[in-house]
Amino acid sequence: MVERIDLLATLDQAGARKVMVIAAPPGSGKTSLLRAWSARSRGKRRIAFVSVDHDQRDPQQFWLSVLRAVFEALPSAVEVPVESATPEFDGQATIERILLELADQLEPVVLIVDDLHELHSEEALAQLEQLLSRLPSSTSAVLSARRDPRIRLHRLRLAGEVATIRASDLEFSEVETRELLRASGLNVSSALAASLHRRTEGWAAGLRLAAISLQGHPDPERFVAEFSGTDRAIGEYLIAEMLDRQPDDVRNMLLRTSLLGRVNGELADLMSGSTGCDRLLLELEDANAFVVSLDPQREWFRFHQLLADFLRLELRRSAPGEVQDLHRHAARWFEEHGAVVEAVRHAQGARDWSHAAELLADHLFSLTLDGQEATIAAVLQSFPAGTSADEPELAPAHAAVYLSQGLHQQAAAQLARAESHLDRIPADRRQGQAVAIASLRLALARRTGHFTEVIDQVNLLETSMTDEVELMASGRELGAVALMNLGIVETWLGRLADAEPHLAQGAALAVAIGRPYLEVACRSHLCFPSERVSCAAARERGIQALALAEGHGLGDRPIIAPALGALAGVTIWMGEFDEAERCLRRAWDFDEADIDPSAVVLLHTATGMLHAARGELESACDAFTAASKAQSSLDGVHVLATRFTGWLAAAQARLGMPEAALASLASLPPDLERTGDVWNARAAICLARNEPALALAALDAVLNGTAPDIPSFTLVEAHLLAAHAHLDLGDRVASAAAVEVALAVAEPDRLIFPFALTGASRVLATLPRHETAHGALLADIVDVIDGSARADADTRQRSPGDELTPTELRVLRFLPTNLTRSEIARDLYVSVNTVNTHVRNIYSKLGVGDRSAAVRRARELRLLSAGFAPPGPA
Amino acid sequence: MAPTPSLYMIRIKGHLGPAALSAFPSMDHEFTGSETVLTGLIEDRSAVFSLVAEVEALGLELLELRQVEPKPNEPRR
Repeated sequence: MVERIDLLATLDQAGARKVMVIAAPPGSGKTSLLRAWSARSRGKRRIAFVSVDHDQRDPQQFWLSVLRAVFEALPSAVEVPVESATPEFDGQATIERILLELADQLEPVVLIVDDLHELHSEEALAQLEQLLSRLPSSTSAVLSARRDPRIRLHRLRLAGEVATIRASDLEFSEVETRELLRASGLNVSSALAASLHRRTEGWAAGLRLAAISLQGHPDPERFVAEFSGTDRAIGEYLIAEMLDRQPDDVRNMLLRTSLLGRVNGELADLMSGSTGCDRLLLELEDANAFVVSLDPQREWFRFHQLLADFLRLELRRSAPGEVQDLHRHAARWFEEHGAVVEAVRHAQGARDWSHAAELLADHLFSLTLDGQEATIAAVLQSFPAGTSADEPELAPAHAAVYLSQGLHQQAAAQLARAESHLDRIPADRRQGQAVAIASLRLALARRTGHFTEVIDQVNLLETSMTDEVELMASGRELGAVALMNLGIVETWLGRLADAEPHLAQGAALAVAIGRPYLEVACRSHLCFPSERVSCAAARERGIQALALAEGHGLGDRPIIAPALGALAGVTIWMGEFDEAERCLRRAWDFDEADIDPSAVVLLHTATGMLHAARGELESACDAFTAASKAQSSLDGVHVLATRFTGWLAAAQARLGMPEAALASLASLPPDLERTGDVWNARAAICLARNEPALALAALDAVLNGTAPDIPSFTLVEAHLLAAHAHLDLGDRVASAAAVEVALAVAEPDRLIFPFALTGASRVLATLPRHETAHGALLADIVDVIDGSARADADTRQRSPGDELTPTELRVLRFLPTNLTRSEIARDLYVSVNTVNTHVRNIYSKLGVGDRSAAVRRARELRLLSAGFAPPGPA
Repeated sequence: MAPTPSLYMIRIKGHLGPAALSAFPSMDHEFTGSETVLTGLIEDRSAVFSLVAEVEALGLELLELRQVEPKPNEPRR
């Protein structure tokens, strides 16, 4: 190798700029330069080196490789688990995670992305653009590609933060040409070096190819003279020369393995029908002959793209009859070694379309568990038009892709096609197909809230899960997924006693098959209090589920939203409102669209509870209304439906809107009208209308236990409402007795929330401390209610403007404009989630509920100038 | 809109050998001076860009690419 001092020095200065772009045609020596520079960087800076895979279309695969490279480069990150591929990949969260790791670094860090032109994903490119614009000061990036990368860098360019190395900078000088020849052990005249340099125009690949051919050449002068004299295109000429000079076994191996994206000794032996290829590959890499190893053990290799492309053309030209057979060999080898995507691609190369379709169909399920829908989509496109559109065998794969894109109707249509085709699939494959289709149906039903259908599908799965299927690896995966989906749906239907064993079994199976994502998903739904699980136990489970997610590097995935919602709910019940608020903030940082709709209902409900507990009735109404709206997108009825509807009605009544309150209750299905939650709500409406006797009558069904569904917290709430009614009727003794019962029921689980919800200070006063058997709890409740009132008063009195952080002030400036949140996010180069968080904080700090109120309040506080009004009537 | 193939001419530096020419099976070739001129019908614009990508991938130097009017008597392939 030649030390290209000038170029290395240019790269050394890369740290001074944010981004260095290397854009030059293939064979210009980009990768060699970057590898040499990385090796030289030891001790000076940390290098995270990412080579983009050939034709990479999957954002998840790309970001996982970046994440791995960053973790390998940073000393601090050794303990951090690097996540594996999962469904529902969140690129945004991965970027935040990378930025977080980089932000802690004191040493300079350089992120190198080589072969960026191979990244064919708009999503990943946009995310990379965002990452680059937000790199911490100690970090810079080098992007290397055949063309100017399709990333808008104009902001950085304007700031002088982008430097570029182009093809002309990479050309070898005459001096460097002489050095290169000398370093290759060639002792040639300077005239010969000069004419070689002239003919190749300093093109790195040309010089290296020429050097390889010249090694051991009987007549170097003649070689250079012939080369200089020919009009042939130099790349092809020199590659042909180099191949001609290779021994037969090397030439044979190069040609016959050229179809492979990566090759190892065993596979090369198989393809070339010989032995000893592992040694040949090592020798070629050592000779710097356009073969590079992909792993530190030097087992896998790939050819320089330029060489591979010419070899493939040469193979098709010289042995056209062999191409399909070679693909067929490769497909079989990769299939046997579990590399499904490569197997399918080679089966396609062999034009074994039906085999390719079968392979894809049979392994579809585990590909979706790895979240590889983008890859599936790319593979689907490589089927010839007729096959792709009409082959029913491929319908499940199309369905999986549609499902990942949120195109539920299209997914359902493809699944219907798949089902009607099922009886034409050979018996030995039919069962596997049936379960794959059922599992996709299951996922679709869960996403659209078709709860009853999920349960039907699971029953169907159970009957079709024969022993044979269960013995297959994918059978166990299916089992885990089925248990997970069943348990989740049972949870949202409120059948916690059924859900518990299913989710626990699902989690255990997930551990056994090494699928942490499924384990976390199951555990996230296992933290709700029930008759058998106390609030304290549920809370502990929630904390453990979050710790488990963190441990697997999944702590920033929307799949933990149910655990956060459950934890928020439990802590609200127990009167720990600040803790609940932290959980909810974290959950709302996810994009709502990425959270399961049923979990969204939970989060809105918990948010409403928090507001109601703090006496913020308008905000509580907003949140409960949002819960109701989220419920309406579900096909089934959510377990929380009666609860948030009842609380919505009660809050509306207390705000002086009894009509709206009654309308809210009327929106419930008739069979839910007699539940405890609804009776409580009716009582609250009566109390607000000053009809205490009617309130007591409404509570009767709850207090005497005839109403269905009376968990202890509903009972506590009912006794407190009764206490209010008795007091309104002037009966202090009955009121005190009702409070005492409420305290007794609340004691075991410390159910403080109903007291805050019903504004219990007034009725608590009827009960002298020494007359209760629950003095400690009573004291805590009084503290919580007073504390929350005091904290509330504090926030109102403080000047909110002092509290807004600089970032929040930046976001605030956008609020008077008519830009949407995602447009604001783009302008500020942050994620929509981040903007959402800031906006929520701004609203809460300004004590307002919407954008126009925030602008008004901010103007009052002179945080915004009055002149910054959007066009149009004020 | 149904694609109407158009006649294109591509000028590349150096004479292409048999392997490189096989990458452009639908194009006729001609050597002029030290250049190769490829001529042929190309289906649509995305096919044009695929062709350019192929030229790039083979490390060839693209000198000129343009759409040309077919000669009146030349039969369309």
